[in-house]
Amino acid sequence: MSLEDPDTGAIEPAEETAVGVTDEGLDYDALADLLGDRLLDREEHVNAEGFVVRPDEVRSVLFDLRDEAGFDHLSCVTAQEYDDRYESLYHLKKYGAPTQELSVVVPTAKDEPVSESANPVYRTADWHEREAYDLVGVEYEDHPDLRRILLPETWQGHPLGQDFDGEEPQIVTLREHANPLQEDHRGDDADTMFVNIGPHHPATHGVLHLKTVLDGEQVADVDPDIGYLHRCEEQMCQQSTYRHQIMPYPDRWDYISAGILNEWAYARAAEDLAGIDVPEYAQIIRTMSAELCRIAAHLLAMGTFALDVYGDFTAIFMYAVQDRERVQKILEDLTGQRLMFNYLRLGGVAWDIPEPREEFFEKTRDLLDDMPERLAEYHDLVTSNEIFQLRCVDTGVLPPEEAKSFGATGPVARGSGIDYDLRRDDPYGHYDQLDWDVITEEGCDNYARVLVRLREVEQSARIIEQCVDLLEDWPEDEREIQANVPRTLRPDPDTEVYRAVEAAKGELGIYMRSDGTDQPARFKIRSPCFSNLQTLPVMSEGEYIPDMIASLGSLDIVLGEVDR
Amino acid sequence: MIPLQSATPLPSAIAELLGLDPSNPAVLFVLAFVAAGAIVSVMLGMTAVLGIWGKRKITAAFTDRIAVNRHGPFGLLIIPADAVRLLSKELIVPEGVDRPAWDLAPLVVASSALLGFAVIPFGNGVQIADPEIGLAYVLATASIASLGLLMAGYASNNKYSFLGGLRAVAQNLAYEIPLVLTAASVVIFAGSLQLSTIVASQSETLVSLGGVAIPSWYAFVNPFAFVLFMAANLAEVGRNPFDIPEAPTEIVAGYQTEYSSVYFVLIYLGEFIHIFLGGAIVATIFLGGGAGPVLPGIVWFFIKMTAVYLFTQWARSAVPRLRIDQLIEIGWKGMLVLSFANLVLTAVIVGVIQ
Repeated sequence: MSLEDPDTGAIEPAEETAVGVTDEGLDYDALADLLGDRLLDREEHVNAEGFVVRPDEVRSVLFDLRDEAGFDHLSCVTAQEYDDRYESLYHLKKYGAPTQELSVVVPTAKDEPVSESANPVYRTADWHEREAYDLVGVEYEDHPDLRRILLPETWQGHPLGQDFDGEEPQIVTLREHANPLQEDHRGDDADTMFVNIGPHHPATHGVLHLKTVLDGEQVADVDPDIGYLHRCEEQMCQQSTYRHQIMPYPDRWDYISAGILNEWAYARAAEDLAGIDVPEYAQIIRTMSAELCRIAAHLLAMGTFALDVYGDFTAIFMYAVQDRERVQKILEDLTGQRLMFNYLRLGGVAWDIPEPREEFFEKTRDLLDDMPERLAEYHDLVTSNEIFQLRCVDTGVLPPEEAKSFGATGPVARGSGIDYDLRRDDPYGHYDQLDWDVITEEGCDNYARVLVRLREVEQSARIIEQCVDLLEDWPEDEREIQANVPRTLRPDPDTEVYRAVEAAKGELGIYMRSDGTDQPARFKIRSPCFSNLQTLPVMSEGEYIPDMIASLGSLDIVLGEVDR
Repeated sequence: MIPLQSATPLPSAIAELLGLDPSNPAVLFVLAFVAAGAIVSVMLGMTAVLGIWGKRKITAAFTDRIAVNRHGPFGLLIIPADAVRLLSKELIVPEGVDRPAWDLAPLVVASSALLGFAVIPFGNGVQIADPEIGLAYVLATASIASLGLLMAGYASNNKYSFLGGLRAVAQNLAYEIPLVLTAASVVIFAGSLQLSTIVASQSETLVSLGGVAIPSWYAFVNPFAFVLFMAANLAEVGRNPFDIPEAPTEIVAGYQTEYSSVYFVLIYLGEFIHIFLGGAIVATIFLGGGAGPVLPGIVWFFIKMTAVYLFTQWARSAVPRLRIDQLIEIGWKGMLVLSFANLVLTAVIVGVIQ
């Protein structure tokens, strides 16, 4: 597999030499000293401190924080509009230690919201800043390609800005729309061919549009065009109350059976924001149900990847769906739903394990007992198949440095040998008290990503087994599934929190700012698929079309989460 | 015992049956049409049953599903239902297609495969013609389909079709040669291109194991050639791991992307008849034609043909698709070398024995 020496570029300084790292954690004063005059102000957020910097010094500050202080992970960029200013928030983390966080706050003037682009420091900023520009209206200087990303190019105004006029008609005539066929004829005497792959194509797993330039059978350039499934999820959450109304929405982001994992992302952020403690019993139920979701999601990811590599009539897809169906049945018993679970509540879960409990546990144990045999069959059918290996080993290579720069997380990062899993590194729920392993593969290729998912199913099964043991022996009068939470939550004004969990596809983060009401003033979703999809050009340029399709499949994106 | 191969071709046999003069060219001409019509009807019937209903049931069995079971007994009424559905769809002619090439392509694809059946000995004397160059003729007609695929891909004015058409041609070129060379090794054994002779030369007993006589089918005489031929045949008919010209997840549907309604049916039909023709060739030159115990020869022949079809469906459900460059590499660097080695070895062995 990829044996080339890692590029000893600037991104990875040794952990010891990083500024601001002490035994207790992060020393924000030392970081403030590093920035010196460039630091205007310091803010307290729930998860980390926010360093306020001038819009024309963003780049130098971020370079220093990356190279001197070791913040190699730009998790998310949030933009928002206040009454007197625009603000861009760069949520920085470390792949080595994700609990060491820092927010860089960049206020910009109302009349001229321009700030420096972070793109040269973190390549993931490319799409994140485009989204900030698209939805909020902050402009980024020297951004290589500041176009709209989720909304069509003809859209008028910025929907998350304060002066957005929702009444304004947005439907434009066909004539005014960008005509995708126009580019068809560029460079008539060139040797390349422009092909629109999607938005309706058998292999884009939803409505994704890949503007692809082909040189024969090889991909010369690919530019993902997203936004076809944009459903204003952030805006809907901003118009809903913390306590009850937001929770059903996360199910609809990554709708491929990962519902409870998504719900947990919101639950975690909101519980931290409002200072709610979750009873341990409820945490164990959450852990168990979340891992069931992960198994279902990974099985489907493997099945659909087989569709991409094998063709439409492969047995593997049906096998995977059948096993997923068993997980779905258990989740249905637990939550009453098959897809949109809506099972977690702030401070706990909706209800206890269904009666009779023995039957539920027996069903779950049956699933776990069969799992090793099923996984052996998948390894037999898929990963040990010579043609499959021929297709997947050393194709779609994503070197770890690139993966980090693009903010890749989840199985995509772990398939590139990055040992990063929030369940272990930034523990929540009951994970830190259970015995399980983080899976990494060094291959960096399509094969490694599939292998990571299959092996993670094994680990999830281990976690569920331990949870079932705990739940079975739990004393009956201590089964507390819900903490005491006020009927209406009104967190203190201007409290800001950014929290992430390890969802099926990677780091799913939620940023929330409260304004004293029972609805968040800003609700931002950091979708793992959004960041992971950005790596597609790196993986597929210069490769063959089938490899690009396979790479896309191995990223395991869900467009509902990419476009939100 | 029923002779495996009658010396009289089907039109003459019909003429004798009807009491007409088989030496009259006009009579033979008309009866040849009758015979051809009968064979074509049988093949179309097979496609209807196996292509519409059988395919679903077989794939469902491989992928652990049930498939059609609501339309009549065992879902068999899906056959007329699907036929009506497909034929009553609107025929969409996309802008800018290159007519008449676009209209001719489905006909070429479907008819080229049917032409091959003219010389296939189905057993029990059912064979329209038995020319001395039978094998060369059947391989030649089968490869006309490549032309149809290229026409379809090029004339559709669609980039996916274009890629599919080019892939189809590249693939068929790469695998046609091993196919022909492997078939040639059989010709060396049999000493003739005439299909009836090839079948007849397989009727002797190769070895007798515990009272069970193993016939000298060329699949048993030269299993290596048989495996090579089956692999090359998979590529010829475009099934996994060689379904690259269609590769739905990559290039939508390849050369047939822009075809709808009747044209789609014709291409689909052509594909299936090609698979059956491949099965017929395999049955004739490797599996002893209509030879087999108890049942009449023609039944055995169809069983063997269907078995080959089943094999393609099996591969489709279980084997990943290769990448186009890997396919070409395997074709030119692997299969071609192996088939040449097979040919030379066969020639040496046959030369030494005689």
